[in-house]
Amino acid sequence: MEKQYRLLYDENLCIGCQACSVACRVEHNVPDDFYRVQVHMQTLGIFPNLGMRYERLSCVMCENPPCVSVCPTHASFQSKDGLVHIDERVCITCKYCILACPYHARFVNPLKNVVEKCNFCYDTRVSKELKPACVTTCPTEALSFGDMRQKNSLVHQKSQKEVLLFPKEHLGTKPKVAFIPSRKGVKS
Amino acid sequence: MSPMWGSVEQYSTIHWSWAIAIYLFLAGLSSGSIIVALLVKWNRHERSNSSIWDAMIKAGAVVAPTAIFLGLLLLVIDLGRPLSFYWLLLRYNVTSVMSLGVLFLLIYTPIVIVFMLLVFERSVIRHPILAPLEGLINLVKSFHSYAKVIEYFLFVAALCVGSYTGFLLSALYAIPLWNSPLLPVIFLTSSLSSGVAVNILVGLLFFKSALNTESIKYLLVLDTRVILTELPLLALFFIGLFYAGGDAPTAAKAALTEGFWAGIFWLGVIGVGLGLPLITVIIALKSHVYRVGYIVTNSMVVVLGVLMLRYYIIYAGQIYFG
Ligand code: SF4
Ligand code: SF4
Repeated sequence: MEKQYRLLYDENLCIGCQACSVACRVEHNVPDDFYRVQVHMQTLGIFPNLGMRYERLSCVMCENPPCVSVCPTHASFQSKDGLVHIDERVCITCKYCILACPYHARFVNPLKNVVEKCNFCYDTRVSKELKPACVTTCPTEALSFGDMRQKNSLVHQKSQKEVLLFPKEHLGTKPKVAFIPSRKGVKS
Repeated sequence: MSPMWGSVEQYSTIHWSWAIAIYLFLAGLSSGSIIVALLVKWNRHERSNSSIWDAMIKAGAVVAPTAIFLGLLLLVIDLGRPLSFYWLLLRYNVTSVMSLGVLFLLIYTPIVIVFMLLVFERSVIRHPILAPLEGLINLVKSFHSYAKVIEYFLFVAALCVGSYTGFLLSALYAIPLWNSPLLPVIFLTSSLSSGVAVNILVGLLFFKSALNTESIKYLLVLDTRVILTELPLLALFFIGLFYAGGDAPTAAKAALTEGFWAGIFWLGVIGVGLGLPLITVIIALKSHVYRVGYIVTNSMVVVLGVLMLRYYIIYAGQIYFG
C-alpha cells in the first residue's frame, strides 16, 4: 500500500449539526433521499440525566472489503492506496456488493443507475492533496483525515493518544474509519 | 439510533426482490429436473414396461432448458443495467460466487440443450416445422456416441447450478440469515424435490401413457424421502443460526416469529410445501389409492412450497438483520 489513509471520527466533539452530510451532498451531487454519509443520534439515560450518542454511517474503506471480493466484474476494486472505488463503466448494478457490505454504505444512485458510496472524495480532493469535504466542513473538528505514515499529522497523533474503536471489528474487514468513543459513559 | 436528518430508506431497501427469488427457484427447478431425469434414465426399472420412466426423462429434457432460459432472462432484466450484462462474460472475479455461477451456467446451458435434442431427436426430425434445425440435429447426432459422457458432465454441471445459488447467498456475512453453510444443501435438496414434482407433473400431462401403480408408488416414495431430508435440514439451519455469533440468533428468532414472512415460513414453506405433501403421501400409501388427481395436486403443492422457500429466504434475509 502506498498510503495508509485513516479517517477519525471523535464522538466527543460531534454535535450532530449535519454539516458533513450537507458538504458531501454538494460535493458529489448526491440525489435526494440518498446519503453517502449520515450521522445518527441516540438519546441515553432517563430525564433529567440525558446524554447523546452519535454514530457516523458511511463506507469505512475496509482493508478486506467484502464488496470487492463479491463483485463479478471487478467494478468494485481496491486501489493501490487501499481505497475502495467503483468503476462505473463496468458496473452492471447487480447489487451484490450492496448486500455484501456490512455497513450499509452502498446504494443505487437513481439518476445514474449505478452503485455509489463514500469515496473519501478521492477524485475531487484527496488525489489533489486536499482533505475530504466532510472533514474540511466540520465546525468542531470532530473529523480528522490523513496518511498514517506521516508521524506529525493530526490523525497519527490522535490515534496514538486516544482509544480507537473500529466499527464491526469482529467481522475482520479492517476499516480505515475509526472512532473515538464517547468518554462521558452511559447515563443512568 | 435515529437519523437526525434525512431518510433511512437506503438502509432497509430490498435490493434483491421477487425476480431474484424466482430466478433462484427456476435455476433450482432446472437443475433438479435434469438430475431427476438422469437418475431415472440410469436406474431405469427394466421390469416395468410402463412408459412413465420415459415420460420422466422427456419431462426433464423439456423443463430444464425452459426453466433456465426464463431464469436467465429474469436475472438479466433485474440488473440495474441490463444492457451491460456482457461485462459478466468478459470479466471474471474468481472470488465472486456470481462469477462462478456465470461459468457454471455457461457450461450447463448448452449441454442441457444438447441433451434435449438427443432425447427428442426423432420427434424433431419428424416435424416439418423444425426442418431448418436439421443441421443442428445432425451436429447433435454426431455426439451420440458420447451420450454417456455428456450425461455425466451434465449431472455434475446441474449439481453446480443447483447449489451455487445457495453459495451466492451464504457468501455474504453481512446478512445473518444467509450466511449459513447449510443454505446450499437446503437449496439443492429442495431443487431435487421440485424436480421430482415437476417431472411427474409434466410427464403425466404431456407424455402420458398408461399409468401403473408401481411406478406411481415409486415416485411418491421418492418424493417423501426428499421431503423428509428437507425438514431436518431446515431445523438444523435455524439451530445453527441460534448458536452462531453476532446478530444471527436475533435475526433467526425474528424470522421465525415476526410479521408476514414468519407466516410464510410456517404456513407456506412448512405447512403447504412440506406438511401437506407428506400427509397426502402417507394417506395414498396407506390406503393404496393412487389417483392421478392425487399426484398432480401433490406435485403442484410441492413446487409451490419450493418457490415459497426461495421467496422467504430472499426477503427475510434482507429484512431481519438482528
Ligand atoms: S464499508 Fe462497505 S462499501 Fe465500504 S469498503 Fe467496506 S464493504 Fe465496501
Ligand atoms: S453492483 Fe456493480 S460494483 Fe456492485 S457487485 Fe455488481 S457489478 Fe460490482
